Amino acid sequence: MMQKAWFYVAATSFFELVWIFGFNTASEWWHWIPIVAFILVDFHFLTKACAALPTGTVYAIFAAIGTIGTALMDVLFFGQTLSGGKLFFIAVLVAGVIGLKLADGRDEKTQTEGGN
Amino acid sequence: MGWLYVFLAAGFEFAGVAGLNKYSKRKTLLSGAVYLGGFGLSFLFLYTSFKYLQVSTAYAVWIGIGTAGAVLLNMFFFGESKSLSRVASLALIIIGVVGLKALS
Repeated sequence: MMQKAWFYVAATSFFELVWIFGFNTASEWWHWIPIVAFILVDFHFLTKACAALPTGTVYAIFAAIGTIGTALMDVLFFGQTLSGGKLFFIAVLVAGVIGLKLADGRDEKTQTEGGN
Repeated sequence: MGWLYVFLAAGFEFAGVAGLNKYSKRKTLLSGAVYLGGFGLSFLFLYTSFKYLQVSTAYAVWIGIGTAGAVLLNMFFFGESKSLSRVASLALIIIGVVGLKALS
């Protein structure tokens, strides 16, 4: 159950990056058709993830991955440089996401043991 | 004027997140409308703010308020865990998101 929920978190984060990339590259009006479709798929997985995990956790991770992804996209596709400052905040974000996954895993365990 | 749009955008993001929580538990027309309408209006106001403010600044403030608000909202109104490790991890994410957006 938990494993499946994290798959939904991964899926919503992935589709988020797809539509952000679309936002940055769309040049014709019809490009917005697949972008809107990807947003709807993204929101579908976001809802699925929140059904099993705390919404606050899912939303914070969703924001974190979107932010890291946009920063990396700027470097990989749009020729920006990756400064030391950016790398530092990416490391802080990754630490937060990992910490959150560990913290929620532990809370889940305590709750189950508590009989809830 | 630009900041008013950023704060409106953050406010509608809270509505979107509350809708997301409700909708993920029980799919009703109302919760679905609050969820999609909240995020839709949030983006609309954020994009409007870009006309008045620097994109990276507006983005950093919006995502910081939005993410922190989303987390607090779920802790206080929807009974999510307030354990120290969870709060500390969430604080790291908010610092990271704001810092990275501010530098972009």
